[in-house]
Formats: sequence, C-alpha cells, structure tokens
Amino acid sequence: MDWTEILRFSRGPLLHVALMIFIVGMSYRLVRVLLLGWERDRVPNKGSKIWGVILNYLRSLVVLPFIPWVRRTFRNNALTFIAGGLFHLSLFVVLAFGTAHILVWKSLCGISWKSLPTPIVAFFSATGIISLIVLLINRLTHPVLKLLTRLPVWINWVMVFLPMVTGFIMARHLWFRYEVIFSLHLISVSLLLIWIPLGRISHFLFYFFSKTIHGSQAGKRAIVP
Amino acid sequence: MKTQSAINTYLKETGGWVASQLEACTRCGICAEACHFYQALGNPEYAPIWKLEPLRRAYEQRFTVAGRLKLALGLEKRLTDADLEHWSKIIYEACTVCNKCAHVCPMGIELGPLIHEVRAGMAAAGVVPGDLAEATEKQRTIGSPLGVTDEIWRERIDWITDEWEVDIPVDKAGAESLMVFTSIELMKFPDNLAVIAKILNQAGENWTVSSKGREVVNFGYFEADEELTKLFMYRVFKAAEELGVKKIIISECGHAYDAFRWTAPNIMKVPAGVKIVHITEYIHELWKTGRIKLKEGAFDAEIITFHDSCKIQRRGGIIKQPREILKVLAPSSFKEMTPNKEQSMCCGGGGGVISIKEADANRYAVFEMKLEQLQDIQAKAVCMVCSNCRLQFVDSLAHFNSTLKVHGLAEMVARALV
Repeated sequence: MDWTEILRFSRGPLLHVALMIFIVGMSYRLVRVLLLGWERDRVPNKGSKIWGVILNYLRSLVVLPFIPWVRRTFRNNALTFIAGGLFHLSLFVVLAFGTAHILVWKSLCGISWKSLPTPIVAFFSATGIISLIVLLINRLTHPVLKLLTRLPVWINWVMVFLPMVTGFIMARHLWFRYEVIFSLHLISVSLLLIWIPLGRISHFLFYFFSKTIHGSQAGKRAIVP
Repeated sequence: MKTQSAINTYLKETGGWVASQLEACTRCGICAEACHFYQALGNPEYAPIWKLEPLRRAYEQRFTVAGRLKLALGLEKRLTDADLEHWSKIIYEACTVCNKCAHVCPMGIELGPLIHEVRAGMAAAGVVPGDLAEATEKQRTIGSPLGVTDEIWRERIDWITDEWEVDIPVDKAGAESLMVFTSIELMKFPDNLAVIAKILNQAGENWTVSSKGREVVNFGYFEADEELTKLFMYRVFKAAEELGVKKIIISECGHAYDAFRWTAPNIMKVPAGVKIVHITEYIHELWKTGRIKLKEGAFDAEIITFHDSCKIQRRGGIIKQPREILKVLAPSSFKEMTPNKEQSMCCGGGGGVISIKEADANRYAVFEMKLEQLQDIQAKAVCMVCSNCRLQFVDSLAHFNSTLKVHGLAEMVARALV
C-alpha cells in the first residue's frame, strides 16, 4: 500500500469532506432545535435571570469540575466526575496548546498562539487516554450506565478514543512510520467529525442551551443554580 | 390508542426548550446519584434521565435523523402501551418531581420539569396510578381530592373557628387578601388554619377565605393534566376576581405554590394585578415590617432543624425567610441538616407520591434517609412549610416509631406571637 498517497488523500479531500459534513450536520441539528419554537416566559421573576446564568457558568466551569463534592454527588460517583473532568481538561489542553494542533488552527482561522512545552502536552494526552479508559470501565460496570448505554454511545467512545491514541503515538514517534500513523490519525479524526452530528458528542453545542436554561430558571427563582 | 395520545402530547410539548435539553444529555448517569429513590432502592430504572425515555424516544423518532436511523435499523422500537404502563409506575411512584437532579447534572438539564412533561403524556393516555386518578377525579367533581364537599368545608371552618376561638372571614367582599388552604390542612392539620388565621388577624390583615376558591391543592398538576391543572387554578382565580382581592396567599403547600406562582401565567389567563405569595414569605414580611412581633427563643429548648421543601425552597426560592424566623425562635438550638437549601433531599411524599398506596414502600425507604439526616444532628424537632411534607413526616415517623416532633412554621410563629 502506498501510504504517501493515503496520507495525501486523508489530509486533503477526506478531511475537507468530513469537516463539511460536520459543519452542515451540526448546523442542521442546531436549526432543527431552534425551529421547534420557544415560548415566551410570562412568569414574573423573583430574582435576576441573567445573574443566574452568569453564576451557573462560573460555578460549573471554574468551581465544580474540580471539586465535585460541592454538590455531594461525589460519594458514589467520584470516577465519573474526576475522569470526566480530566478528560475534558486534557482534550482542551491538547487541542488548544499542542504544537501540531496550533498549526491546524492557524491554517483554519489564520491566528496562532504559543504552544505549551511538549512534555506537558504529552502528559495531558496520556491523561486523556487513561481517563477515557476509566470512563469505559465505569460504563461497563455501573448499573445505571449499563442501562443507559446503547450502541451509539459505544460508538461515541471508539470514535473519540481512536484519534486520541493515534495522536499520542504519532507525537511520541512510537512504532509506526510517520505517513502511516499520521494517515490513521487523520482518518480517525475524519470519522469522528462525520459521526459527531449523529451522536451525543454534539453535547458541546447543546451544553450552552441547557446551562443557560438552568441558570435562568435558578436566577428567576432567586436560588443558587 | 393510548400510546398515540401520549406521543401526540410529547410532540406538542416539544419546543426548543425541551429538545435542546434532551439533546444536551451525555448519558453520564450522574443524575441517579441525586435521586433519593435510586439511592434508597438501587433500581437503575429510577435514574432521572431514564424517566425521560418515553419523551426522548417520541422526540428523537419524530424530529431527528439519528432517531429515525435507529428505528430503521431496529436499534430502537416505537413506544407501546406496555411501555407507558411500565414508565407510569416509575414516574408517578418513584419520582416526586423534586428537581434535585437538575442541580447535579453537569449539563444543567432541568429534569424535573421534563419529567412533568412525561407525566403529561401519561395523563393524556390515561395511564395514571388508580389512587392518584381517583383523587384527581374527586377534586374535579367535588372540589377537593379528599372529598371535602361544600357542606363539610363550611362545617369544618365553623368548627375550627369555635375550637380555636379564631375569626376566619368567609367570602368577605373588599378583602385585600384571599387565603387559600389545602384539604390536607382542613382535615388533617386543622390547627394550621387556626394558627394562620391568628397570625393574619394579629397583623391586622384584611383577609378572607372563599367558599368557591377553597382548595389550593392541584391534583391535575400532580398528574400533569394541563386542562385539569388550569381548571383547579381557575376556581381560585375566579374567586379572587369576584372578591376583588389584591393578592392570593398560598398556604403551606408546595405543589400549589409551584402551580400558582411559577406555572399559571404560562398556561392560562391570570387576573391582572393579583400577586401570588406563599404564606411563609408573607409571615416573614409581616414580621420584618413590624406587623407581628415574635418572642425570641420561644423554641430554644431542644435541637430543631428545618426541612426544605422542593417546591417552596429549591424551586420557589423561599430559602432565607424561614431560616431568619427560626433563628429568632430558636437562636441557639436551630441546626441545619446536611444537605440543605437548594441541595436538600426531598421527603419522599411530594409530587402525588403520598396519595398512591402502592408507592408506600418507596416513600418509606426514602424517608429512612431523611431520618438518618435528622438523627445525624440529634434533632428533636423538625419544622417545615409544606403540609404535604408534613403529612409524609407524621406518617413516616410513626411508621419508624420515632418520637421526633413535627412543626409547621406558621404554627411555631403563632405560638411565639407577642
């Protein structure tokens, strides 16, 4: 097999098509939900809706991911919280501050920034992979998660795991030739991009809806979200 | 067909508000840890997100590509009557719609209101537990879920007036406030009517009760039948309009406060310029403005705690007012349970659960956890502002042979009036 050709294809047409499918698919999902209509809230407020929203984002982005016991659900769910929190943090660090990814952002939006030292990015990359494995074991054993997890959720896991593992192997220069592992990384990223509009990884978009709704409901009722 | 009525209701109720929240779920299962029914009984089907399954399936199969694909590939089935029967037991008998789950969900999904929507489909399909349906029917035909007729109501008011020697104005034209009680208070905690009357009279409030709008409880709201919910509130609103009052005071009842204060304006026409207040916030206001005075330390003899009701505290925001009053009545012996305020655990009797005989084992199991929280702080007495919670406490404490005392806040305030 000619891996140079495969690499050319996967970093060119495949990735571009995948990106298009991702953008169009997510736009469709977004528009579909928006078009279902939003009723006006006629209930008089007790507190401030906007303040509730701000507080809700601050609490969940700054405080809660790292100190989950604030909400007393830590006792029985430490794994989901810690592994879930670390997974998202790792993903953010690697995607936003890995040297190779910064180049991708530059080619996409024309701006770039300073990357983090390689050992730090490598550490987070490994942390992300380990967290994902821990989350998988948790999902396989927790009675509620076993009930909730159907085929699409398993596919989610595989689709996220593959780019992370191939990316890690590539960045550490392990086992494979550069063209091979880079191709595999790009193919898995493309598959992920195509899959996202169909599954629940799209929560990164709807997060802003549910968070805003919860915050405004709390604010309106003058309670802490 | 039952299922079609349920599905039609789900599709009708599914606006962006519902859809965006269903889409946000990551299937992380954290909500289960917030649910007192799951914690007490360990049944994974009690996970709040699983309670949304009928609504999620109806929504996805109609409105999303993924949902249609799943149907086509045989990964998921359409809802059936058997599904409705199955979920009806889960959402009416193992959920008090307390909405604590919304506070632990990393995405902030308002699971309580969404479970209310699931109930709405069940109500439309007529798949509601028999006891709950029967009580609702009594409220529709007789005017009270406990079967209190007009005659019984009048006799009862007269009896309370004599027994406690308080003045309870009935249908008084020109009154400023319409006070609406629950049948639970009228029949099981009649002292609550007497003490609230005493407080309002002492404050010089120009108030009345109404023989037409005499029931504040809303079993239509428990069932989530929107038409009945509106009908039961309409009776009170109509009475308020006829009497020309400026405000409606909701007595110690959680669901009623939620329905009147936070739901009515969005589902029906409400009388203009009529304020909805809960008796607890009103007593607090009377005390703050000096219209009533309280004896400090009147209840300082033994450790007393406060039970937060889901609909009045977590969903209603009346959190600091009862505590400010309790700190006056029991400055050194008032102690908080853990968890408390927005994070508090529901008593297990709300959302209509206490009216369903088949759910008794569930609510006792949940209450055992509440009892542990009370014992952890060595509480000798507990105060609350919801008669439904109070009923659950009184019944369950007797069930567990506990000697803990149960107080309504109004009752404590009335006893401490100076």
